[in-house]
Amino acid sequence: MFTTKSFIKKNKVGHFLKHVREHYLRTDISCGVPECKKCHSENTSSLTKPSNSNNCSIFNYDHYLILDTNIILDQIDVLEEPIISNVIIFNTVYKEVKHRSLPIYKRLNTIIENPSRCFFLFINDHHKDTFVPETAGELINDYNDKCIRQAIKWYIEHLPNKKFILLTDDTKNRQLAIADNIPAYTVRDYVQNLDKKSLIEDKLSRNDLHSASEEKELFPPHLNKIELLKGIKEGSLHQGVFRASTVNFLEGFVNVDDIKEPVLVQGRAGLNRAVDGDIVAVEVFSKEQWVSPSEIILEDEDVDEQEVEEKEEILKNSTVLESEIKPTGKIVGIICRKWKQYCGILKDTSDLGLYQIFVPANKTIPKVRIQTRQVEFLKTQKLVVTIDSWPRYSRYPHGHYVRALGLIGSQQTENEVVLLEHDVPYSQFSKEVLRCLPKLPWLITRSDEEVRVDLREFDICSVDPPGCTDIDDALHCRPIDNTDTLEVGVHIADVSHFIRPGTALDLEAASRATTVYLVGKRIDMVPELLSSNLCSLKEREERFAFSCIWTMDRQANILTTKFCKSIIKSKQAMTYEEAQLIIDDKNKTDAIAQSLRHLNSLAKILKKRRLDQGALVLASTEVNIMMDSETMEPLDVKVKKHFETNSMVEEFMLLANMSVAKKILDEFPDCAMLRRHPEPPASNFDPLVKAGRHLGFDINIESNKTLAESLDKADKSSHPYLNEMFRMLTSRCMLQAVYFTSGTLQKADYYHYGLAVPLYTHFTSPIRRYADIIVHRLLAVACGADRTYPDLLNKEKSTILCQNLNYRNRMAQYAGRASVAFNTHFFFKGKLNDEEGYVLYVRKNALQILIPKYGLECTLFLAKKGETTMFQYDEERQTQSADGVTFHAFDPVTVRLQLDSSNIQHEKFILQLVKPIIRGFSVPALNDLNDGDRTESNEKRKSDEESGKNNIKKNRK
Amino acid sequence: MSQTIHIRTASQENRIRPLPSSQKNHRIFTPGEEVIKAAHTNFVRGHGTYEDDGDLKASVAGVKEQVNKLISVRPLKSRYNGQVGEVLVGRISEVQQKKWKVETNSRLDSLLQLSSVNLPGGELRRRSIEDQHMMRQYLQEGDLISAEVQSVFTDGTLSLHTRSLRYGKLGQGILVKVLPLLIKKCKIHFHNLPFGVSLILGNNGYVFIGPPINDKEGNEGGFVQNLEEVVPKETREAMARVRNCILALAKNFRMLFDTSIVFAYEESLKYNVHELLLPEAMVDVAVLTQQRLSMLENYESH
Amino acid sequence: MSAKQQLINKIGLRLDGRRANELRRIRCKMGVFSQPDGSAYIEQGLTKVLAAVYGPHQTRNKQKAQHDACIINTQFSMAVFSTTDRKKRPRGDRKSIELSVLLQQALSAVIETDLYPFSQIDVYVEVLHADGGIYAACVNAATLAIIDAGIPIKEYICACTASLANDDVPMLDISHQEEILGGPTLTITALPMSEKIVLMEMSQRFHLDHLPKVLDKALEGCKDIKEILDEAVKDHVSKIGSATGWANASS
Repeated sequence: MFTTKSFIKKNKVGHFLKHVREHYLRTDISCGVPECKKCHSENTSSLTKPSNSNNCSIFNYDHYLILDTNIILDQIDVLEEPIISNVIIFNTVYKEVKHRSLPIYKRLNTIIENPSRCFFLFINDHHKDTFVPETAGELINDYNDKCIRQAIKWYIEHLPNKKFILLTDDTKNRQLAIADNIPAYTVRDYVQNLDKKSLIEDKLSRNDLHSASEEKELFPPHLNKIELLKGIKEGSLHQGVFRASTVNFLEGFVNVDDIKEPVLVQGRAGLNRAVDGDIVAVEVFSKEQWVSPSEIILEDEDVDEQEVEEKEEILKNSTVLESEIKPTGKIVGIICRKWKQYCGILKDTSDLGLYQIFVPANKTIPKVRIQTRQVEFLKTQKLVVTIDSWPRYSRYPHGHYVRALGLIGSQQTENEVVLLEHDVPYSQFSKEVLRCLPKLPWLITRSDEEVRVDLREFDICSVDPPGCTDIDDALHCRPIDNTDTLEVGVHIADVSHFIRPGTALDLEAASRATTVYLVGKRIDMVPELLSSNLCSLKEREERFAFSCIWTMDRQANILTTKFCKSIIKSKQAMTYEEAQLIIDDKNKTDAIAQSLRHLNSLAKILKKRRLDQGALVLASTEVNIMMDSETMEPLDVKVKKHFETNSMVEEFMLLANMSVAKKILDEFPDCAMLRRHPEPPASNFDPLVKAGRHLGFDINIESNKTLAESLDKADKSSHPYLNEMFRMLTSRCMLQAVYFTSGTLQKADYYHYGLAVPLYTHFTSPIRRYADIIVHRLLAVACGADRTYPDLLNKEKSTILCQNLNYRNRMAQYAGRASVAFNTHFFFKGKLNDEEGYVLYVRKNALQILIPKYGLECTLFLAKKGETTMFQYDEERQTQSADGVTFHAFDPVTVRLQLDSSNIQHEKFILQLVKPIIRGFSVPALNDLNDGDRTESNEKRKSDEESGKNNIKKNRK
Repeated sequence: MSQTIHIRTASQENRIRPLPSSQKNHRIFTPGEEVIKAAHTNFVRGHGTYEDDGDLKASVAGVKEQVNKLISVRPLKSRYNGQVGEVLVGRISEVQQKKWKVETNSRLDSLLQLSSVNLPGGELRRRSIEDQHMMRQYLQEGDLISAEVQSVFTDGTLSLHTRSLRYGKLGQGILVKVLPLLIKKCKIHFHNLPFGVSLILGNNGYVFIGPPINDKEGNEGGFVQNLEEVVPKETREAMARVRNCILALAKNFRMLFDTSIVFAYEESLKYNVHELLLPEAMVDVAVLTQQRLSMLENYESH
Repeated sequence: MSAKQQLINKIGLRLDGRRANELRRIRCKMGVFSQPDGSAYIEQGLTKVLAAVYGPHQTRNKQKAQHDACIINTQFSMAVFSTTDRKKRPRGDRKSIELSVLLQQALSAVIETDLYPFSQIDVYVEVLHADGGIYAACVNAATLAIIDAGIPIKEYICACTASLANDDVPMLDISHQEEILGGPTLTITALPMSEKIVLMEMSQRFHLDHLPKVLDKALEGCKDIKEILDEAVKDHVSKIGSATGWANASS
């Protein structure tokens, strides 16, 4: 059945070690060609379907394609085109691809798994006849090429009446292949002779380095791998992740492990073709050469070389601040590229030539030069482009076009861009996933009733934002007879009843991790049948719930806690506003009103206690965008309203989460999924402390408690929005709260800084968060309602899951914000308003202005391009002054707000100062110009807005 | 004299021709294998078998032997199982009161009673306390003796005796240990080989090669050992050659008896003594011996 | 999603080219030494083990001797060159002592100790090259050596490892590479003919749901190993038998 072949591998782990591994050669590996009678073909993959055949005008016959590693690595975008089919991938190639680039490996896998594409994986290295032993001193590349040729030769002999064609861009391999009578071509030759060539040709990656010598070399060369490794080992170089600055294209940081602060890199030579996210090697200068980050904002506009140099000059001059000096260095080599696909548009030029400049939506990514034959079409489209290479002579990296997303500016396209940019999976649920859903009509059976506590008679109600369809929590409260205690219940939709571990539905939900809320659109984590129907605790419907029931005394001290799976029937689903009205309406004395009042009074006590312990009250600029339901155009942008009932519900959710966290940690000390919020490093608070000092407040950041207290004090009656601003600033100092598995950290690290509780988890929103589902399952096991399954108790698996959840959550949050930003822009299109705002930060050449009304944060440049500023910048005190007016942080201003649509991709707000008046800089107020026609019309609109409300539920903190 | 070093790899050794084997084919039982299914009362369980759920199963790897109702499986290789009357070579391992313990390659050490030895001064002399004190002077730990099995105790311990002039303490010579099964059971186990070597083929697999025995002396019951005497070089060489021949035969699982050893000796003469330790030479000697033996057998049967 | 490497590829082959239910190549030889009463050498893939058995012989230590059974003394050792990193010492470390004890327990289950009062059987195993499944190879080698020594045992005792590939597919006979990359490894020592499990050992925690299928697989592996060993034993016995001309055989 098999023979063995052992080979020796040298592996460097500090010193040389000899590895011997077995290598079995087999005779039972199928060639995959369906017509072949010699191989007992397995049903795993059959190569050809009758409908598929390769047509290439070089050949007049049908043929199978065999790809070299370099083709897959460089031309994966071409391979993803369905026109390429009947491809045999050799395992040698497959493994090499995996070794060289995991993302491409994954994409290759998707292609192979798609049966209509007819890609076949041939395990050549374990086949008796195609295995080639390595000869001493042979390079791995040559060896791989040899394996490929050997396998093709075998194929040609094995199936004499089939044709096999090798595609390779490696000249040497091609020549050797041709010498062996193997037909071999380059991709370019092949693709150019395919049908529909003009489209697919654009996707060819451009690696042809054309006449580099003529052009000026703009960048210093990169060190090669060996030099890099040596440098890192000796300590002269440092390895780290490059992060480009979002505001300055000539600046970035490298986060190096063994240096506390990130290393600053500046200028084109310093950045040296690194792209955001790359793992680079950086050389740190000696201390005398260290500079401070320039606090200026530079954008890579379309300027010629000279201007770039000028900008570098500006940059240099602005980096001499003594106090802010950071470790500085330059990037000398790239250890690993992390190029992805980027969304963006083509730069608007009249030039319709072959070469175009692509402008990514993400500002940290440089512009990309691409080659296309369909400029006219692409100009109107949002594109996805990938980077292929960045030669030294080229100012921009070279790339190629991958696909078009849709018309620029259309909301659908923009939503898609947002989702794509944030890596949100938004495709339809697959059939397999939908098959996991329960059949309708869904009925509660007797066996369900047996295992669940029947709470249907209880007066349970839910309180949610208006328009909410995925109700995952409900509450009740009733006095216990003859005692002075209350029974409080939090009932959470029992999603884990419907989503069983290991099913396609479960895997999909785990991968999505969270429901993503965009303006006017919701990307569900679970199919709608569950999220809006079976799991949603709808009014007067019998639903399964996971209940957490406490008995409390009137001082809100918990006496007992109980968890159980239950059946409930919500008596009423209310909005926050409705609930508030019921509480306030003294005439209402029904059970619901009673229980709401009890809950409300308990919540107040709970909240106070929490705040006393040092929980932070933070502010953020969450806004609601009112959408016209028909045109899907934003009607108005409003900051969210808060009622007492909001915090009432919030308090009980927090309480439930804490109780559950304790329970599951007790039960599963090693693998409970918890949420922690690490204490931010003191340096994070610098801007806050600085700002406080200028206004005469001492912000004590020693602990969350002192911070909370000093925030409470930071208030001025003359400045009503001041406190809010402080809190907003504080929330920006915070680190992200994350999920983790209890076994992986020290107990002290479980702490939730923002809430000031030692243990916390997410239990209350299983419909829209996957973490909650896991917590539900853990809790169900803990209270004997369900059984475990392997992955639940596996610490490594949970850790990986947590990483995914954290990543997706973060991305979902960003996506939500991006969507709001886009729609705000949309709203302001063509409008010109004067708005009140506050200075958030003072920068060297600009002011960051916050407009609370819309939750907008914009930049007010203090000098026009090319002009020198009339402002005096005081670095020490963080002020800008001119004409007798000094701007501090938090100063109120009035600005004129206008959307600059000249750059269609980066539509940005242009601000002009209205108040305080600075001669030669500020502009007169609009109202003075024309008697406020505009504001009137705005108000008229506001009255319509109720009809078109489309509210979004946001994460409750 | 320059020394040649012979190196061969494991795979090369396998290339040595296999020996002609006897045609007889035996059914081999391995542990756990059923010997007889549902072996009711018709059979008596013998060595190397056990009963499991009424079935008789083998507990060793070997061949089945049946004596009337007694069924046993005999492993080819095992420790020596002594039978009365067999000749042994053994080494004193312990001196105890009134008895010696002798290591004889059997499961438990054998016993040599003080009463079962011929003491100097007449066969029927009474054993006195003095004799007990003198035991270590007769035989002490490490001495080699030849003896005969007198009886077998129930726990398998052998009781030996040396009440014959043939038996007793062994002098200068070489001890070779081989598998007990290779010793052919013969009437005579003491041989004086024609090329001036004496040989004791112990049934327990211990073979003693010594210089030729002069029958006229040493009638004293063999408690003297002359280590002073210098054995001539030719004799020593012959002894070494015999030893190597025995090893060659044993390595190739050839039976050991006087004829086979004499044949092997004769066939080995084309090699130097030390060359006989090379695997090729060992196989060669064994094969040639085997051929001569089978020729002899054929001749006798005709 | 999983960061762990896939141990079985799409075609169903493992990293070394085996399928999930295939053992590594087993080569074995009995009677490799002349000094001990029984000896054996086994190769399971690249794991190479020597075993030697002395006895049953008189117990030298009088205190330990039992009047109704023989005692089994085992010693496990690993050659210092058997692993990629040179080991500091071949025996006496905790792992070796533990494996010695496990081996002793496994062998006690099959050897008919009551036949040999006051006796002792010494079993020495030495790992020459470790490439996963060390304990299993040791047990198998010890079995062969004991059979070679002619010591009565109830039946073959075989050991085999099994693990889960891709967290789903049970696979047999884990190599060192797979031990490192994969999840927990189950080692079982079993009597393949009567399907009794003598000893089970897990390298890590393991969810109960996975256990049955992995256990079944491992048991299957033990049976396969038994077949291979049985063949080797028969081969060996008939080789000796025919060379000696079945001397002293009565039938």
